[in-house]
Amino acid sequence: MKGTQLGEFEELVLLIVGVLHPEAYGLNIREEIISQTKRKVAIGAVHSSLSRLQEKGFLKSELAEATHERGGRRKRLFNITATGKRALEKNHELRNGLFNQIPEIALKGLNFGGI
Amino acid sequence: MASKDLYNPPTLADRLLRAVCKNSLLEEIEGDLFEHYQVERAEKPKWKANLAYWFHMFNFLRPFAIKKLGQHSSIIIMYRSYLKFAMRNMWRQKMHTTFNLLGLILAFTVCGLIYLHVQQELSYDRFHKNSEDIYRIAWMSENPQTRTPHPLAQAMVQDLPEVEAAVSLSPIYGAGLTKQSTKLTLEAENISFNEPDGYFVDSTFFDVFDFKFIEGNPETALKNPWGVILSKSTAERYFGDKPAVGSRLSLDVNIDMLEVVGVVEDAPITSHFHFNFLISYVSLKSLNFNDPWMSWADFGHFNYVKLRPESDAKGLQARIPNWVEGYLDWSEEGLERLRAGELRFELQPIHDIHLHSNLRWELESNSSFSYLLIYGISGLFILLISIINFVNLSTARSAERLKEVGVKKTLGAQRKQLLAQFLFESLIISFGSMALAIFAIYGLEHPFNQLVNGNIVADHVWQTSPMIFMISATVLTAVLAAAYPSFYLNSLDPGRILQGTSKKKVGGAAIRNSLLGVQLVAAIVMVSGSLIINGQIRFLKQKDLGFKQENLVIIDLSNYENRSELLKTSFSQAAGVTSVAAVSNVPGGQFNQHPIYTEENPSLTIDAAEAFIDDDAMEVLGIELVAGRMLDETMAADSAGVSFLINESAARDLNLENPVGKNLFWVDNENLVKGQIVGVVKDFHYKSLHVPIRPLIMMSRPRGFNYVVANIDAQNLSSTLPKLEEAYKEIYPQTDFVYRFLDDEIAALYQEESRTLVLTSLLSGISIFLAIAGLIGIVSIAIKQRIKEIGIRKILGATGKQILLLINIRYIIIGSVASLVAIPAAYIFMNRWLDNFTYQNIINPFVFILTAGAALALIFVTISGISIRTIRSNPADALRNE
Repeated sequence: MKGTQLGEFEELVLLIVGVLHPEAYGLNIREEIISQTKRKVAIGAVHSSLSRLQEKGFLKSELAEATHERGGRRKRLFNITATGKRALEKNHELRNGLFNQIPEIALKGLNFGGI
Repeated sequence: MASKDLYNPPTLADRLLRAVCKNSLLEEIEGDLFEHYQVERAEKPKWKANLAYWFHMFNFLRPFAIKKLGQHSSIIIMYRSYLKFAMRNMWRQKMHTTFNLLGLILAFTVCGLIYLHVQQELSYDRFHKNSEDIYRIAWMSENPQTRTPHPLAQAMVQDLPEVEAAVSLSPIYGAGLTKQSTKLTLEAENISFNEPDGYFVDSTFFDVFDFKFIEGNPETALKNPWGVILSKSTAERYFGDKPAVGSRLSLDVNIDMLEVVGVVEDAPITSHFHFNFLISYVSLKSLNFNDPWMSWADFGHFNYVKLRPESDAKGLQARIPNWVEGYLDWSEEGLERLRAGELRFELQPIHDIHLHSNLRWELESNSSFSYLLIYGISGLFILLISIINFVNLSTARSAERLKEVGVKKTLGAQRKQLLAQFLFESLIISFGSMALAIFAIYGLEHPFNQLVNGNIVADHVWQTSPMIFMISATVLTAVLAAAYPSFYLNSLDPGRILQGTSKKKVGGAAIRNSLLGVQLVAAIVMVSGSLIINGQIRFLKQKDLGFKQENLVIIDLSNYENRSELLKTSFSQAAGVTSVAAVSNVPGGQFNQHPIYTEENPSLTIDAAEAFIDDDAMEVLGIELVAGRMLDETMAADSAGVSFLINESAARDLNLENPVGKNLFWVDNENLVKGQIVGVVKDFHYKSLHVPIRPLIMMSRPRGFNYVVANIDAQNLSSTLPKLEEAYKEIYPQTDFVYRFLDDEIAALYQEESRTLVLTSLLSGISIFLAIAGLIGIVSIAIKQRIKEIGIRKILGATGKQILLLINIRYIIIGSVASLVAIPAAYIFMNRWLDNFTYQNIINPFVFILTAGAALALIFVTISGISIRTIRSNPADALRNE
């Protein structure tokens, strides 16, 4: 049962990992989140989410080469797994489906700020 | 980029991360943080980058990244075992544990309470914005006072650039310059109260003081005549939760005279004055009466100034004499004294008023710093004694844990771990005590407030500074108590411990004994100090004041109609009343003062307090006559108020050998009254013993009478008072019958001393108790360790007495040395404390002999008591085991 649900932030991280493929690792994921969503995110938050996603089997990772600007430390690059891809698709379909079921009138009646 | 030097992130943060982070994740986390840091450093100042690094580092402290501290983590297991050891140890030695806990709880509670009290006392008047720039202007003469002329405040704002704002204010005074209550009435609802603490204030009141407005406009509130500002609690009495502004209130008999223009928060407890309502001086000025009270001639108002930030108050004060000359209509001689600094307008920082100012006409009775100092020092002494107890007992007990330490060391425990264990144990005890002490502080909040007349709030213990104090005391206690045993036990060779060849006697006796000496010094200082305080206070209470105070009832006259004659006649007819007199002031109260000088030597002008009395007053109050005669109303001059009685001090200060018959001028504001001295009275303490007796002039002036003093028969008190009330109501049907006893009034002057007496007695009792408890602890362990020695001595023929002496001698020597140190210290300190008093009890050397003797006797009795069983026991029992 465990690991089938995607949290909102997890979904975001998972999507960004896909966007940044194949160069996704902690720090640039965080920067991408900040620039795309204007949210303030701590590095620790991203890492904790990444490790959870990996536990759930949505991500896989491998250590890359050590680089100078990281003080000789290796970075961990993340990749979406097949399960991760499926989970994203499922979420996407679910949302699209639900959105399409909203009757026209409800959307029209909505007052988006403005007048 | 690659060739560029890299920045190094804060090492401490790095190390911390490495210590707690899972190894598998460390590399990538560190790498990300490092990389991020490089970017930050390139863009931002170093401290910002460092801060960001720390922030992100702490953000990693989440469950996923932290090393597993589960059931099987060795750290958890170790601490769990420490806890178990600590609990078992405490449980096994219940007596010892109770001792430790009780002592620490007592000390932490006392210190916490005193800390809160001291903190509150020191925080007076700091709630105003820029309160460090607010000063009160006091008048420093031979008999300094708080009051200065009304126009002073605004003149200062006008002429002196440093002064940003100023306010003049005055309580609404009633009879005899006591603060009077004023009747305010809300006619519509027929709600009426006698409100104390009403003030006249300048419209600039809120420019100087910060009291928050709830209703009304602070800009305009005090600009209009007969507007009144109420404090919140006062407003609630009349209007409940309804808005008050705009309603009208009656002032005494003047229907709807006042319009409520504002409601402000009540002045906090930590204000040196509190008000129920404020009326603008504009109201008085609108009456257009030429009251000398509002002129430069009358030193009758409280003036406060707020200086611009960073102003030089001392420099400003030095410039006042030259500046103020232009306003004062004084003789050249008076101005000369002003220039010479004999008379001064002094800027009193508002922060200092509550603790350091005790002038005439303080708005409320202030506290005194010297008492606060005594409380603080006593609290610290108790803490010291108690910490020493805990340290001494823990180190003395460490011998009993030799085997435990030996086994642990052989099984591979490191020094660090043993240290951690001991520290952990003492931290448990000291933090446990602190937690219980906080409970105790909550429980004792109310009794303690009553004891010191304080206003502490137990909840304030959670504020930063009391918490820091409590926690540092706790940690310090624990560290000191753990330090010695862990270092000592660590230093021993485990093999020898287990073999049993290592000496069982624990070292550090010298340290323990000197700590014991320190405790005894503290306790002896406290006890002899409190005996001296006791002596001084008893001295003040028993000193002959020069007048009678027993069985005298003081009854207020109405402010509006003076019917003192009628009242006197009516009272003197009542059964149980021996004699009656009418006076303007009663001893112990406030006195007005004006200059006097003799006709023959007009250049010698002195200030004299004045009292108006009738011809019975001297007899009723039992004031002695030294020369001349008493007043006699049948003589024209006497009843006209031109026959003067002066006291000995006045005669001395006026340089009069034979005062009787001399002509004297009394400068009553604008009026110059010429009269003749008809009598000299013996100096009596018409003010409290905190101040010396100063010149006093007395004369008859019936319209100045404020009180009737009746000497009544103590036996029939309960039947006499209702009769007096009945008689009073006949003459003043409108006014309440208000009476007081003179001896109560006098006793009230020494309330603070009485409270200090109770508190210091209590604290010194606690200190003795703790010191003796510590002594018992140490000695009983020492005896246990010397059991064999005692046994051998007995076998070899020592008598019980000799052994008793042997055990005692060391502690008696410590006690004697402690006395030798403590007595001079106490003597010097208490002498300085006594300097606060005008009338000092001479320190009786017997106090010190008594304290030292009692301390030594107590030591002897205690030690003998606990050692007697060991001495009496059969030496064979002691030597047999092993």
